[in-house]
Amino acid sequence: MSTSESQDIEEATATIAPGQPDDKTRRYDRQLRIWAASGQAALEASRILVLSSSATSTSILKNLVLPGIGHFSILDSTLTTPADAGNNFFLNASQSIGKPRAQEAVPLLRELNESVQGEAVIQDVKELLSTDQGKDWLRSFSIIIAHNLNNDVLAPLSTLLWANPNGPPLISVRSAGFLAEFHIQYHEHSVSQSHSENAPSLRITRPFPALLEWARSLDLQNMDPTDHSHIPMVVILVRALDEWRKSHDGSLPKTAAEKKEFKNSILAMKIKLDEENFEEAEAQAWRVWSEPAVPSDIQALFSLPPLPTSPQHNSTFHALLQSLSAFVSDPSGPGTLPISATLPDMKSDTKNYVRLQNLYRAHAEVEKTKFKEIFAAKYPEIAKTTNPDEVDSFVKNAHHIRVLRGKQWGALDRDREAIVNSLTSQPRETATHLALSALSNLLSRNAEVTIDALNAEVLSTVGQDVDLPEELEAAVGEIARAPTADLPNTAAFLGGLVAQEAIKVITEQYVPLNGYCVVDLIDSWTGVIN
Amino acid sequence: MAAAAVVNGTASSSEWEGRYYHVDQILDRSGPRTDPSFLAGDEVKEFLREKCKILVIGAGGLGCEILANLALSGFKDIHVIDMDTIDISNLNRQFLFRQKDVGKSKAIVAAEFIMNRVPGVKVTPYFGKIQDKDEDYYMQFNLIICGLDSVEARRWINATLVNMVDSDNPESLKPLIDGGTEGFKGQARVILPTVTSCYECSLDMLNKPTAFPICTIANTPRLPEHCIEWASVLEWPKVHGDKKLDTDNPEHISWLYQVAAARAKEFKIEGVTYSLTQGVVKNIIPAIASTNAIIAASCCNEAFKIATSSAAYLNNYFMLIGTDGVYSYTFEHEKRDDCPVCGGQSLAITVNKEWTVERLIDMLIERQDIQVKKPSLSTPGKQIYFQAPPQLELATRPNLEKKISDLVPDGGEITVTATTLPFNLSLRVKYT
Repeated sequence: MSTSESQDIEEATATIAPGQPDDKTRRYDRQLRIWAASGQAALEASRILVLSSSATSTSILKNLVLPGIGHFSILDSTLTTPADAGNNFFLNASQSIGKPRAQEAVPLLRELNESVQGEAVIQDVKELLSTDQGKDWLRSFSIIIAHNLNNDVLAPLSTLLWANPNGPPLISVRSAGFLAEFHIQYHEHSVSQSHSENAPSLRITRPFPALLEWARSLDLQNMDPTDHSHIPMVVILVRALDEWRKSHDGSLPKTAAEKKEFKNSILAMKIKLDEENFEEAEAQAWRVWSEPAVPSDIQALFSLPPLPTSPQHNSTFHALLQSLSAFVSDPSGPGTLPISATLPDMKSDTKNYVRLQNLYRAHAEVEKTKFKEIFAAKYPEIAKTTNPDEVDSFVKNAHHIRVLRGKQWGALDRDREAIVNSLTSQPRETATHLALSALSNLLSRNAEVTIDALNAEVLSTVGQDVDLPEELEAAVGEIARAPTADLPNTAAFLGGLVAQEAIKVITEQYVPLNGYCVVDLIDSWTGVIN
Repeated sequence: MAAAAVVNGTASSSEWEGRYYHVDQILDRSGPRTDPSFLAGDEVKEFLREKCKILVIGAGGLGCEILANLALSGFKDIHVIDMDTIDISNLNRQFLFRQKDVGKSKAIVAAEFIMNRVPGVKVTPYFGKIQDKDEDYYMQFNLIICGLDSVEARRWINATLVNMVDSDNPESLKPLIDGGTEGFKGQARVILPTVTSCYECSLDMLNKPTAFPICTIANTPRLPEHCIEWASVLEWPKVHGDKKLDTDNPEHISWLYQVAAARAKEFKIEGVTYSLTQGVVKNIIPAIASTNAIIAASCCNEAFKIATSSAAYLNNYFMLIGTDGVYSYTFEHEKRDDCPVCGGQSLAITVNKEWTVERLIDMLIERQDIQVKKPSLSTPGKQIYFQAPPQLELATRPNLEKKISDLVPDGGEITVTATTLPFNLSLRVKYT
C-alpha cells in the first residue's frame, strides 16, 4: 500500500469513525494498556545487545522485538550446528546448518515487527573485550543480555560494565536442562511509575481546608434526604473524625472499643436504614486508624545515603527525591507527601462525586506547584532541564516510588557469609544457584561435568565445613544429567521472564528483579536471591 | 560438520543427526527426581515422536507459543482448534501471524507456519468451536492443553473431560493443562479429571467481573466507565433498535465513544477516550508476549514431562506475578467435594424459607462459585422456571413470585440448567 493511499484511507475512516486510533496504536493496543505511550517511547529508543543466538537468546529477543524495541544486535561468532537447528525456532531448520547462527536468526526475528532494526555481529566477545574500541561498543547499548556465557568471559564483561555507573545493565542468564537462573546487574534503578496496586492515602486524618470546610458545613439532620444519601464516604469520614477529635482531645480512635465506637458514630448519622454511603464509610473506617504522614518505605528513601556510582540519569530522580523530603518537612506545607488527584469510586451522585473530585484535583495542583517551587529553588540547574512530564509523574506517584540498589554479578559467590546465610534461608534457590555456578566453572575449564566434579566445585565456593542442604543433591544430579541442554520449554520460559525484566528496566515502569532469579522446572517454582 | 554437509544437500529432509541433541539429554537418562517407571532411551522417544497425539485449544496469545514449544520438544501429531480470525491487535504477541494474515483463521495460519518452520511436524487445524466436537473426537488425544481467554469455553472442556472418565478404561482420563494470563500475571495448572481439583473447583478464585448497577449508569454516573456503559447498554438499543452492537466494528465503537463523551461532558466527568470505550465494551484484557511465553512454556513443560515421565509434573497450580520483581507461588489446589462437575454430590445451599423463586435466581447469579447468567430451574417432578422457549417462559413466569419453599420441600433437589453452564447443576435446598 502506498503512503498516499494509506493516508486517504485514514482520512476517509476518520470522517466515518472519529477517535479511531492509527495502525500503530491498534497493533500495540494490548500493551499500551500496561505501560502507556511513555513506556512505548522508552522501548522504541532502546538498543539491545544479546550475546549468543541460542534458543534461549532468540526466545528473549522475540519477546522484545514483538513489543517494539528500537534496535537489537546479536553478537555470535558460531556456526549453526544440527543441535541448534533442532531446538531454535528462529533458524531455518536444517537449511541453517553450517551458516553463521546470528545471521540466520536476525531476519526471522526482524520479520516479527517491521519497525524494529536488527543486525548480526559475527565476532567473539573475547576479542571485543581486548580492545578499547570493542569495550566502547559494548558500553554503547541500553542493556546487554548474555546466555550461557561461561564465567571466564562473563567475569571480565561484568567488571567492565560495573566499572562505569552509566554503562548498560547486564542480564546474565544460565540454564541447563530443567534448571536455570538469571541475574540483573545495575548499581541503582529508580522507579516512579511502579504501578502499585495499593491506593494512595486520601488524607482523611489531615484534611485539606476545602475538604474540612465541606464536611463541617453539612447540616446532617435537616438536609434533603436524597442529598444526605449521596454524601461521599470521604466527606462522612472527615466529618465523623472531626467530631470525634473534638470529644477526644484531638486524638484518633486507638483501642478496639474506640474503633467500634467511632464506627457506631458513623452509622448513627444515618437518617434512613438503607443509606449505602454511610455503610461504605463504616466499612472504610480503617483508613482513619493509621495514616502515616509519610509511608515508612518512602521515609527510608529520604535518608538513603547517596551512592558514588549512581548513574547520571538518576540524578534528576535523586533531586526530586530530596525535594520531596524538603516538601514534607516544609513548615508551611502539609507535612505529608503531596496529595494524589485520583479518587476511588464511591457511593454518591454525579454532583457530589464530581465536586469532591474537583476539590482533590485542585488541591493536588496547589501542592504540586509548591513542590515545583521547592525543586526549582533547591536544584535550579536540574529543574530547568527536566521534562515537566517527569516531574508530574514523580509527584503523582510519590506514594509508590522505589529505589533499588543492586550488586555486581558474581558478588554473592565471593561473599561466603552471604552464601551460607542464603543456604539456610533459601536452601533450594541457593543450592540451585551454586550448582549452576559450578557447572559454568567446569565448562570454562573444559572439565568433564560429573556429580563429583560439581560437588567439589560447590565446596570450593562455600567452604568445606558448611552443611549443604539436600536440595543440592537434586540440583547437582539434574545438571549432571543434562549439562548442555537448552531445552525448548526452558528456553521459552526464560525468554519470557528475562524479556519481562528487560522491559521493566528499559521503561522504568513496574519493579524489576534485584539479584538472582532461580528457576526449577521440575517442581515448577521460581525464587529470588537478593 | 559432516552431518551439516549431508543435510544441506537435502534441504527438505525433516530429520537430521543431532536434531534432538538437547531434548535427548533428558530422555536418555534419569535425574534424581525422575519416577522409576521412566523408560529412558528409544521407547520414550518413539512414544513422544511417533505415537503421542496432543490437542491445543486456542491459537491466540498462548496458543501460538504452545504450538512452537510442542513442535520443538518433539511432539509431531498436534491438533489445534480456534474459532477466531486474526486482528491487527494480535500482532504484538501472536508471533505466528503477520499483517498480511489479518482476517484469516488463526488455527489454519498457525498450523501452516509451524509446519513450514519445524519440518516433520503435522499440525491439524480446526477453524471452529470446541463445542462442535464430540467425545469420540476428544478421546483420540493423549493430552490436551488450553490457552483460552474465555471462562465459558474452559468450563465446557473441563466438564466434557470429567464426564469422559470411565473408571474401567484408564485411557479415558485425559490430562488437561490450562494456562491463562493478564498483563504481567498468569497461571498454569495441571488437571487430571476426577483425580485432582478441576477448573470448576477453582471458579471462585476468578476476579469478579466489574458490574455497574443500572441505576448508577442511568442516574448518577461518576466515572467515565459509567458513561460508556450508558452509551452501550441503554442508548445503543434505544437508537438502533434490533441492530446488534458489534464490538469489532470501529464505527460502532466510534458511535459509543461520541455518545459517551457527550454524556461525560454534560455531567462534567473526565476521562472518556476511544481506547477506554473499546476496553470497557470489549472487556479487553491487557496482554504481552513475555507473559504469554512464560505461561505457555510452563504448560508445554508439564505436557512434555507427563508425556515422557522424564520428571515429576506440576501438582497442580503455578501462579506468577511479575509486577514487582519475579514472584511465583506453586501449590496444590484442593478438590472440592461439592464441585458440581467432579464432586459427584449436589451442592448444598441454605435459603430463607420466605424467599421467592426470583430471589433464589438472583442469588445464583451472584454466587462466584457458580457463575451462571440465565438459569432455568426444575425439580425431578416439575418445572419451576424456564428462561426459554418463550411459551415455557410465559407458563412458568408466575412461579417467580412464589415462595421457593412452597414448590420444593426441605432437603429437596433443584436442577439448574443454563446455556452458559456445560452441565446440570444439582442443588440440595435447606431452609432457615
